[in-house]
Amino acid sequence: MPNLTIAIAKGRLQTEAVALLARAGLRIPSGAQSSRRLAIEDESGCYRFIFVKPADVPVYVEHGIADCGFVGRDVLLESDADLLQPLTLNIGCCRIVVASPLEMPGNGSGILRVATKYPNIAARHFGALGQPVEIIGVSGSVELAPVLGLADCIVDLVETGRTLQENGLHIVEVIADSSARLVVNRASYQLKAKPIGSLIDALKAAAKESEF
Amino acid sequence: MTEQLSAIPSGIRYYFGGEAHLRRAIEQAVMSIFDGWSYEEISTPTVDYYSLFERGMGALEAQRAFRFTDTDGRLLALRRDVTSGIARAAATLMAKRERPLRFCYAAPVFRLRPGSHAEWRRESTQIGCELIGRNSAAADLEVLAIASEILSRLGLDGRYTITVNDLEIFNGITESLALDAGAREQMRQLVDVHNATDLRSFLVAYASANECDALGQLAQLSGKGEVFDKARRVIANKRSLVALDRLAALWRTIDSLGLSDRFEIDLGDVSRLDYYTGLVFKIYVAGAGSRIGSGGRYDQLTANFGKAEPAVGFVLDLDTLSETVRAGSGTILTDEPVKEALSIGHEDPTKLFLEALQLRARAERVVIGQVEETTCRT
Repeated sequence: MPNLTIAIAKGRLQTEAVALLARAGLRIPSGAQSSRRLAIEDESGCYRFIFVKPADVPVYVEHGIADCGFVGRDVLLESDADLLQPLTLNIGCCRIVVASPLEMPGNGSGILRVATKYPNIAARHFGALGQPVEIIGVSGSVELAPVLGLADCIVDLVETGRTLQENGLHIVEVIADSSARLVVNRASYQLKAKPIGSLIDALKAAAKESEF
Repeated sequence: MTEQLSAIPSGIRYYFGGEAHLRRAIEQAVMSIFDGWSYEEISTPTVDYYSLFERGMGALEAQRAFRFTDTDGRLLALRRDVTSGIARAAATLMAKRERPLRFCYAAPVFRLRPGSHAEWRRESTQIGCELIGRNSAAADLEVLAIASEILSRLGLDGRYTITVNDLEIFNGITESLALDAGAREQMRQLVDVHNATDLRSFLVAYASANECDALGQLAQLSGKGEVFDKARRVIANKRSLVALDRLAALWRTIDSLGLSDRFEIDLGDVSRLDYYTGLVFKIYVAGAGSRIGSGGRYDQLTANFGKAEPAVGFVLDLDTLSETVRAGSGTILTDEPVKEALSIGHEDPTKLFLEALQLRARAERVVIGQVEETTCRT
């Protein structure tokens, strides 16, 4: 029976997270990762990994189904989950930005139409500016929205900026920098203090190593 | 469209059978422990003025209440917590009573919006106690000892951890850094999520590089007695050191009582600065993904109702608690009725109920069997 269950966000973060874990001594058996299994154990049998959609990582960890998880700050800002974030990792680095076809987004009507996968982040950002907005929730291909006239601008995650460029959008504003976090369930942090403490130490050492 | 009769509102549920039985058993076990420590049971109104909860819990928490208006237009709310009502009663109705006041309660509380993914319930039952009018280490220990007895009695020994902290340690640090309210809240959030990296970068604007490194550790200082030596190395201001000494003294007593394996120090627990003023603690049980209880000292609370006096208490969540007890094994409480029911049946209703009443007088458990109806009711 594994000591700890670790949730990992599928997609862009997954490869980097698995590589970091391997450097920290938590090796996923070769073959297991390429399979379609969503729950696998590491070679030592001490850890179980579950691969879930990024937005579901806080859900699994907050319920204590997973003790900890790897997830981007963007997801945490959007979810308002009550989790510990004992480690900021230098992987999955990107920015949450406002992007638009124009230098200054707007259609002259005083209200800005914003297409985004991050309705909470967008609402907070424009709320702080006092800018009235209509938030249009979309679940993918956000860059299309201003091109086709669904929205005046988008709030989205940008890594290299290539997708924005290819769709004729530029960054108007950076809302926040994002990178991966190790998140930990509050109860697990106390009740499994030893294994979680050594996981954090191992990850710290592995992250430091890769900086040089 | 016809109304869907089967649906009930989200976050609300039924309890029946073994689960309802277990909840009642836990409630009784806990209330009898409170009684054993001379705590008097109190019920606060289910419907009360919204302003009560604003004063008692702060605007942010109160906003999550079910609200409606009274006939005179005043805003009412469903009971959002029990402590607010007790604090008001202590400061007003019972202002002249001899101190200390010791109260305990078990009551459902309601929230319109759940607080997080894990806290999906909109109705939940709080069981708790308050010790009002005493500001001493003994009062703090009293409630901790009660909490610990409850968890043992529920068969949770070896499966629970109570974390303790003193908020004055954090308050001393923010005071020495001269943080304004906004910055203080930002720092609180970073410490609360144990984010040492971001805490260090946040502190750069307020402290020297050495101080940043030192205070950055604060977010992750948790463990047993060794925490105090580590903390003394990073904390220099007097207010924090006084609180640290107080917490260390509490820890020594916990240790002497042989309870230190059940307790843990967590200097990063700064979840409710606006509410608690000194000791804070949280109760975690293996098998429950979220905490099952929390408490602490709130010496400012009754001042909101016109009579400032020290108070300490804690609250347990009956729902999480009973789920945990139910999932665990080897507990003394079961979710089954203790006695088999004796099935009785007679054609003559007089004989039937004569026998039933006799059995009941001996406290036997009975179930009235199927009886052929000889007369038709109209």
